[in-house]
Amino acid sequence: MAKPLAASKKVMKNYLSELLTDDPVVQERASPEIVNKAKNNAVENKRLETLLKNVNAELEIKEDEVVTQKSVQEPARKRVLVDDSVNRVKVEPLVTHKSGGDYISKTPKTYRQGDFQALFFNVAGLTIAVPLIELGGIHKVEKTTALMGKPDWFKGVMLYRDEKINVVDTALWVMPEKCDEKMKSSLNYQYIIMLSDSAWGLSAENLVDTVVLSQGEVKWLDTPSKRPWLAGLVKDKMCALLDVDALIQLLNDGSGIHQYD
Amino acid sequence: MSDERRNSSDKAKENDEVLQWVTFKLENEVYGINVMQVQEVLRYSEIAPVPGAPLYVLGIINLRGNVVTVIDTRSRFGLESCDVTDNTRVVVIESEKQVIGILVDSVAEVVYLKASEIDDAPNVGNEESAQFIQGVSNREGELLILVDLDKLLSDDEWDELKQF
Repeated sequence: MAKPLAASKKVMKNYLSELLTDDPVVQERASPEIVNKAKNNAVENKRLETLLKNVNAELEIKEDEVVTQKSVQEPARKRVLVDDSVNRVKVEPLVTHKSGGDYISKTPKTYRQGDFQALFFNVAGLTIAVPLIELGGIHKVEKTTALMGKPDWFKGVMLYRDEKINVVDTALWVMPEKCDEKMKSSLNYQYIIMLSDSAWGLSAENLVDTVVLSQGEVKWLDTPSKRPWLAGLVKDKMCALLDVDALIQLLNDGSGIHQYD
Repeated sequence: MSDERRNSSDKAKENDEVLQWVTFKLENEVYGINVMQVQEVLRYSEIAPVPGAPLYVLGIINLRGNVVTVIDTRSRFGLESCDVTDNTRVVVIESEKQVIGILVDSVAEVVYLKASEIDDAPNVGNEESAQFIQGVSNREGELLILVDLDKLLSDDEWDELKQF
């Protein structure tokens, strides 16, 4: 029993050694066709490897290109940002316009219902009306101190009982184009018409009257216009009715009458 | 106004500090300048014109061996020039680290004003001279215009003065 076992061990050893030395055995046993096929495979593999290398290289290049493209895209984004900033710049005037719109927008007035009283006063032959409810007071003209660097229509500051009134040369504000030296010298301001509870006062030559007006006696200018200071036109006297709040805002802003022209 | 002075001005308002102002007249209006900036007040003496000087420079005077440039305050404030009188004075001031003189019609007095008594001037007008006004105050029924001397000249003009 020991001999057959030893023989089988020998067979197993050979088998295993054959298994371990498979290729040389194959090479030895392989026919020239197989050898050629193997060579062809090796060449093909080499081609594939070089091709893969090339492909990798191309891929690397493409990656580089992608990076480059990205870097190109970034400035493009920047351009877009610049465009945004340009847009913002473009928006700014709109904002300014909107703020102008706020000036123009007419807030509901208490005197827009039923009859109301208005004070009429004269400036250089022009009659102007102001709703009594928006009249802050009437003062006699006293010494007015001019301040340097202010617009022509800003007559100066008048002291009245510890209050400082900003006096407007009404003629110069309302009709600057008609105010020549002759007209300026002929102006004889006697009163200051205070605008609501603001520090602004309009110079007036004469006080005409206070009149009760009905809604129908005024051609109202409710839509936003270039003349936000104008509430409407009194039909009978063909004179301007002031929108006091809008006028105050214009004066606070240092705007002349042609601000929106 | 320099930041330092603006801060001190803000602090003065907060504490309602009393500030002293030298008042002077120009064309019947009373102006005030901070007493801390005034070095001295001189009677009018001959002002030597400087050829090629800017319009706002009247000329120079010799103040104890030092040359002081005198500014035409009237033209600076947009007022017409007038003849020199016995009351005409040159107020020597220090502003923006420079000593200059300003020609005024007359010097009135030194007044004490609480910070709370000073109001801002109406914020209208874009002219350069509108910036000179630091504030206004009701002084015994008369409006006192307080002048910010630092803004009397632009930065370029202050630099220009250094050359005199």
